[in-house]
Amino acid sequence: MNNKMNTALALVLGCCLALSAQARDKRDYHEMVYDSGCKSCHDQGTKTYPSDGSCLQCHDIDELAKQTARSEEDKWQNPHNNLHYGKDLPCVECHGEHAPKKPICSNCHTFKFDKHKE
Amino acid sequence: MSNVDLLGRRNFIKGMGAAAGVAIATPAMAISEKADGVKWDKEVEVLIIGSGFAGLAAAIEATRKGAKDVHIFEKMSYFGGNSAINGGLFAAPGTPMQKKEGVQDSVDRMVADQMKSGRGVADEGLLRHVAEHAVEALQMTMDAGSEFHPYLQQLGGHSVARTYQTTVSCGAGITQPLYKECKRIGVKTHNRSKFEGFIIGEDGKVEGVKMREGYYFKEEDSGKVVYIRAKRGVIAATGGFAQNINLRMAQDPTLTSEVGCTNAPGATGEGMYEMFRIGAIPVHMAHIQSGPWASPDEGGFGYVSNYSIYNFPHSMAINRLTGKRFMNEIADRKTRADAELSCRDEKGEALPPILITSYKHSKKHPNTKKVIKYNVGWKFDTVEELAKHFEVPVKPLKAQIEEYNSYVKSGDDKQFGKNMTKAKDKFIEAPFTVVRLWPKVHYCQGGVQITTKAEVKDSFTGQPIKGLYAAGEVCGGVHGVSRLGSCSIPECMVMGMTAARSVMEA
Repeated sequence: MNNKMNTALALVLGCCLALSAQARDKRDYHEMVYDSGCKSCHDQGTKTYPSDGSCLQCHDIDELAKQTARSEEDKWQNPHNNLHYGKDLPCVECHGEHAPKKPICSNCHTFKFDKHKE
Repeated sequence: MSNVDLLGRRNFIKGMGAAAGVAIATPAMAISEKADGVKWDKEVEVLIIGSGFAGLAAAIEATRKGAKDVHIFEKMSYFGGNSAINGGLFAAPGTPMQKKEGVQDSVDRMVADQMKSGRGVADEGLLRHVAEHAVEALQMTMDAGSEFHPYLQQLGGHSVARTYQTTVSCGAGITQPLYKECKRIGVKTHNRSKFEGFIIGEDGKVEGVKMREGYYFKEEDSGKVVYIRAKRGVIAATGGFAQNINLRMAQDPTLTSEVGCTNAPGATGEGMYEMFRIGAIPVHMAHIQSGPWASPDEGGFGYVSNYSIYNFPHSMAINRLTGKRFMNEIADRKTRADAELSCRDEKGEALPPILITSYKHSKKHPNTKKVIKYNVGWKFDTVEELAKHFEVPVKPLKAQIEEYNSYVKSGDDKQFGKNMTKAKDKFIEAPFTVVRLWPKVHYCQGGVQITTKAEVKDSFTGQPIKGLYAAGEVCGGVHGVSRLGSCSIPECMVMGMTAARSVMEA
């Protein structure tokens, strides 16, 4: 009887810890998406990454390119319509969901992307 | 494929007994597979591995020659490879701009320049083939929408001005138009698809490939393996191996991880390894070009590279420990790269040297503004200010500036024998612009041996391996010891087009 209760208690605590751990790897701006369930993004099952097109279910690349447009001199520094890959770079190359990520540009350049959330 | 039966090794291993067999079998398991018994998951007409200049040009040309089902497979999530991040410099003889500017040039002249640079061991047949078709490749880029600066440039080692440069001064000015053209004409492109081996037929012909679809770079178990049959042939356009530290150190032990790299992360050489596995001949693997113009303050090629290339002739490179020069600033790339690597502090740790230029002269290059803006270059009004920032001893530095300026005046560098022609009247004086220097591996002249039809030669027979073609930086021997600037794009594109023509004729 005591063993069973201890086991149950351990399981509950374990779940609480797991939830706490998961909470640290979530994005506050995606709260509503989480409420809808993992499949909102994980269109290939949760054992692998979402497809490259998953983000585009909700976000429009042309609209994003307009929002992050830069002045003529720096126009190709637009992260959503950049010199090297145009608008074809998969979102996950710069945006991590459950782990931090830096813009791919920082491999070679020291551009400032103030709004980018690592 | 070689006449030697690679699969026969398994029978040999069996005969050695269970214990030895188990130990030895592990490496043996990674071997090209025979086609009999393979269950193909899909079939394509022309199969191209790699999405840089060579792969894109091959896809367009194959389609123009009548191919109905052309596929490009790229292991990264994005297309373009190194081609999308290079300087966009395209050399060709007999171009429209040369005619307009009255520049006398020829295939013979371009080949002669390259043979000289290659120290006489470049492949003259291949260089001639590329030079003969370079204008066709340039036209392909223009047809696809590439735009170039309205002037020719004469890069180091070239005897005349023959180099076009994209208006964005980047290879993406070519890869993006070519990629869009591929889409327009119906070429199928597949990202996250890593080539993992050839499938060899009974007669040694390449029948197809093993491809890992859904691949995430550096996660080698990601995705799933499929077998793809290539009806006409496979074109390997997989680029160089500058990012493979183990391989480059095997060829040149000075190229440790301390030496950075200008290349895209995927330039690791596996495609080349697979060709060696089935018998391709390695050529010039140790001729690896490092850029002495690169900066430790930014990744890859960045902005400092072009800034330094422009300013080296009229600048002074300084060892920060001594405050003294340590090299001829326009010596060949290898000499300068090694000299930079030798700059160390008291503990032997790397101490990247600095390049000091008078702002009066550096400001003429557009990158000067950029290096300062992005904090990879600095501007100073006094020697003291400069010396303090980089912790250089002031007194020897001042003495060195005075000494160097005396060489500018006399035209004779008694320290390192630098050719002072281009430094004439360009004294080192305040205000100064300064960048830090540290070499980065830039280009691998080595790779697989090919014919002028882009066929891959087999080690044992000396004959082409049927069904397999290769183009671009994955090929070896083309440029010899040193590749001239702006000669990579014409090579990649011409040989990509050539591979396509060969595959369509086979």
